[in-house]
Amino acid sequence: MNTGPHAKNDGDATCEQMRAHLDAYLSRELPDATSQEVQRHLEICSRCTADLETRASIRAQLQAAVRAATVPGGLEAKIRRAVRGRVSRPRTGLWAVAAAAAVILCVILIGVLRVQSNPEEAILRKTSGRLAAVLKVGLRDHLECAVFRKYSKQPVDASQMAADLGPAFADLAPLIQAKLPHNFRVIQGHRCKAGGRQYTHLIMSGGGKTVSLILTRKEAGESLSGGIHQAGVDRFQVVGFESHDYLAYVISDMDAGQTLQLEADLAPTVREYLAGHAG
Amino acid sequence: MLFSKLPRTDEFEKVALPHLNELYRTAARLLGDGTKAEDVVQETYLHAWKSFARFEPGTNCRAWLFKILVNTIHHHRRNWFNLRRVQESEEILEKTAACAAPVPLRMAQEEILRALSRLPSDYRTAVLLADVEEFSYKEIAGLLGVPIGTVMSRLSRGRKLLREQLSELARSYGIGPAGREGSA
Repeated sequence: MNTGPHAKNDGDATCEQMRAHLDAYLSRELPDATSQEVQRHLEICSRCTADLETRASIRAQLQAAVRAATVPGGLEAKIRRAVRGRVSRPRTGLWAVAAAAAVILCVILIGVLRVQSNPEEAILRKTSGRLAAVLKVGLRDHLECAVFRKYSKQPVDASQMAADLGPAFADLAPLIQAKLPHNFRVIQGHRCKAGGRQYTHLIMSGGGKTVSLILTRKEAGESLSGGIHQAGVDRFQVVGFESHDYLAYVISDMDAGQTLQLEADLAPTVREYLAGHAG
Repeated sequence: MLFSKLPRTDEFEKVALPHLNELYRTAARLLGDGTKAEDVVQETYLHAWKSFARFEPGTNCRAWLFKILVNTIHHHRRNWFNLRRVQESEEILEKTAACAAPVPLRMAQEEILRALSRLPSDYRTAVLLADVEEFSYKEIAGLLGVPIGTVMSRLSRGRKLLREQLSELARSYGIGPAGREGSA
């Protein structure tokens, strides 16, 4: 029963051609002539008709699934308030423009002062959202410790580093060093605190770039959902991953691809190491 | 002159708010996060309100709002939120979903949304705008600011990936070709 034109030698080639048009046909985006050609083919080809039905069905189900979302209660009211909150507009000309300019100038000045007084906060303010909050945990330490805090650019010797890292992480630095590209060195390794939180921090340097590997014990509810996540904020790239108990970050001023590559080089060693630190 | 054409909040709300639902659901699917979608939609309306004086009555308000939404999301992504699950990058997706198989005619909505969420965001945007919001290819090109050929190739690849993922899912459920042959 399902034969159609497939007895012909060129049947499959025609079907192939027609199938390339099926989605555009459904969207009514084909030129008239092509649309009629597809129509004629569908009349005689049950396989392509079945294919069209599948595509139409997926589309209908996709529409139903996406359209099932309901707008959260209160959003409309929030928008109305926000819009109406901006209605107070000046009634007359020049003086109002001048006043507005003065206000803008003040705002800009305050903005500049704030940024200067606390550059970390300025960068951190650009982040929001739940996942971001978890990536921010690592970024905060990188900014506070590796970027804005003065630390010696001279490599610390191995025994000092082991002492600074504390007994639990004393042997981490040489393991990481072994996985770094040849022009990179671990120059610092220590425990540090930022935002009241304890971190284990290796600072690596190479080719004029600074990279942090940052580990911190998870707090309640923190998770990267088992995935590797990457974000760019300002001039920094943050790649976060996790083990059972720890959040781990590779953060650098390199580009996204290089940072991700470095993360891929280090992550297996870090995960294995952290697995040995369970509990 | 500058203030001669004051837009009216009533008028703005009347033409713009009916599209809240569509903007929200699109944002939710593009961002994969309801809270972020709320923020972005609110921001979209504020941007729209600010430029409402330049909006020409009678032109397509819905496309205008979607364009602002797309730009707002794009701006967020560029500034910080270039969050992506590395495992779900386009390349890996293409590798794992290489061959097509029949798709079951009925699937759970969550499964479909999950498959959609795994599309690279450019493809997902094109598919949502064309197949759910039913904008024309030309309108999509206008609101994304890309040539129509780009829209067509994103759509073609996005739809194909979605089909492939759904058929992958069908296979994992043990739903084979047999399920769809009975109608002949």
